Amino acid sequence: MTDTSLPMQKTANSRYNRGSRIFDVLSRAGLLIAILAVFIYGAISSNVFFTTGNLVNVLTSMAIIGIVVVGMTFVLVVGSLADLSVPATIAGGAILSLALQPVVGPVPAFALAVGFAGACGLVNGLLVGYVGINPIIATLGVGTVVLGIVQAAVGGVIVYGNDPAVAALVKGRVLGVPVIVLVFVVVAIIGHFVLSRSFWGRWTMATGGNYKAAEASAVPVRAVKAGAFVISGLCAGLSGGLLGLTLQSARPEVGAGYEFASITAVVVGGISILGGLGSIPRAIAGLVFVQTLTNVMVLQGVRTPIQGFVLGLLIAVAVALDVALRKRGV
Amino acid sequence: MPITSLIIRYRVAIILAATLIVACIWVPGFASLSTASLGLDRGATIGIIAIGLTVLLIAGQIDLSGGAVFALSGIVAIGLQPSIGIWPAAFVGILAGAACGVVNGLLSVVFKVNSLVATLATMLIFRAIAHWITNSQPVAGVDIMFSLAMAKIYLDLFTVRSGLFLIALVLLHFWLTRTVSGRNLFAVGSNATAAESSGIAANVVLFFSFVFASTLAGLAGVLQSLTANTGSPVFGEDLTVMVIAAVVVGGTRLEGGRGSALGTLGGVLTIASLTTAMEFQSVPAYIQQVVTGLILILLVVLDRAVRRQSYSHAATISQS
Repeated sequence: MTDTSLPMQKTANSRYNRGSRIFDVLSRAGLLIAILAVFIYGAISSNVFFTTGNLVNVLTSMAIIGIVVVGMTFVLVVGSLADLSVPATIAGGAILSLALQPVVGPVPAFALAVGFAGACGLVNGLLVGYVGINPIIATLGVGTVVLGIVQAAVGGVIVYGNDPAVAALVKGRVLGVPVIVLVFVVVAIIGHFVLSRSFWGRWTMATGGNYKAAEASAVPVRAVKAGAFVISGLCAGLSGGLLGLTLQSARPEVGAGYEFASITAVVVGGISILGGLGSIPRAIAGLVFVQTLTNVMVLQGVRTPIQGFVLGLLIAVAVALDVALRKRGV
Repeated sequence: MPITSLIIRYRVAIILAATLIVACIWVPGFASLSTASLGLDRGATIGIIAIGLTVLLIAGQIDLSGGAVFALSGIVAIGLQPSIGIWPAAFVGILAGAACGVVNGLLSVVFKVNSLVATLATMLIFRAIAHWITNSQPVAGVDIMFSLAMAKIYLDLFTVRSGLFLIALVLLHFWLTRTVSGRNLFAVGSNATAAESSGIAANVVLFFSFVFASTLAGLAGVLQSLTANTGSPVFGEDLTVMVIAAVVVGGTRLEGGRGSALGTLGGVLTIASLTTAMEFQSVPAYIQQVVTGLILILLVVLDRAVRRQSYSHAATISQS
């Protein structure tokens, strides 16, 4: 019994390691070179690219998506493919943080909005982790329901903010850095430490890497899976709340597209869709690449649909590459 | 126990009957031939896509790009009308759907990308192409009379597309239950490796399932665009959830290996009568979304619960 199973384990194991190490170096160096190339191209092709105004704009939009990316990384690493309820939870965060302002005051409204998004994440997590439903179907269904509920709650109209002081605070800068970017940096650092330095992060990697082995090693796999969706929900709610306060208005469609933008960033960052591998810095590197690329495309006058086309292509290519490299063990 | 197993066996029919009864009580004038015709016509769009998805789900794969293919094919069919005529344009539109299926099949089968992720990416790509070639504007067709003919009701009940849907459904039923290739599909869906060992070319079956699903989504899109005399890049955006809900209500399993044409018919009719009833009562679109989403989640949860009871422990574990 052991005779037959041991060599198989060995080969599988070494292949896995070798593949991932080479892939690691490739994706890290490759991504950095790609980011550099985009920057250089941007600087040469457009004289607006390296202005402070443009870079601050890029940073701000990057920060809003980046907060979502941190949560999405947990979902991918735990092996749950993707959280498609993100547009709904972002819209929930944005709408609630504005709509509740007159009722309970700005800070509690923001907290309630983030809490609501976390609760949606919990529903996703229970469905995926404990009931065992396919994550894409569960989050698609929950997202549809949540978006409907949020719209029904405000009567299907656009919500406006009425507290200029809070808006000014969110749009403000500390030492020249926008507040939103600072929030993103804090979230990213916390996310990084949780994923790479804490027991929760180790459990997340173990669950995503080998569900049964993790379960056998007494990792609370169901709770870890559910937790990833709660983290993703909280992050999306935070991002949505900040987005709502920045725009001072929130439509139900405000979060549309954020799910794909964040998934693209994570998979382009070289994080496997199969789970078990990944880190927040890599996801953010992917985000920087995608966002600067989008920015350069916008500056070049490339139309929005083509940008969507490029994003879709990036997802497909990044995932196909990941699968090919892991399968063959390069 | 026999009663519960009977309920489980005929749950699709029970859900459909319950929906219809509730709708008849709740909505005055629901029980009429014109309502049935309207509901059937509405169901036909969902239904034609659902037929493709049923096959794909039985094979153990999924396609999220159906809504985008729906829009793209419609645009192609309408956009080419001035240059090559209505019928050839419609044909090319369906071919465009098939081409999308080839892309999905290549990504999922040849490059081994998880079909959920692959079709998520292609959904983005196809939708982007639809916006791209139309400049995000709706395209108008050349002949309004043609679309009136498409919307005409025959025998007081059927429109062209609801008739086509029912014919396609009967064909699907025979294909799945009476032919060798239909049986192979189930074999591949339950266990691709075992099917491969017993001499079925599993990858070929999977590939053509993707092509089949997208071709039917294309067909549905062409029919919709011809009826509306318009092709629009925003068509079919909320279709994905509805179609998956319809197929899942019909008892087809997301994990593959199980499903039937009649079940899908039941699921489609349930979703169609639900949305028609809600529209009659002017329920806002977002409440309809909540209901559709809730039904989808409830049924998937129920499906898991039922299976935990009726299957062996090992089978349950292998699902996770």
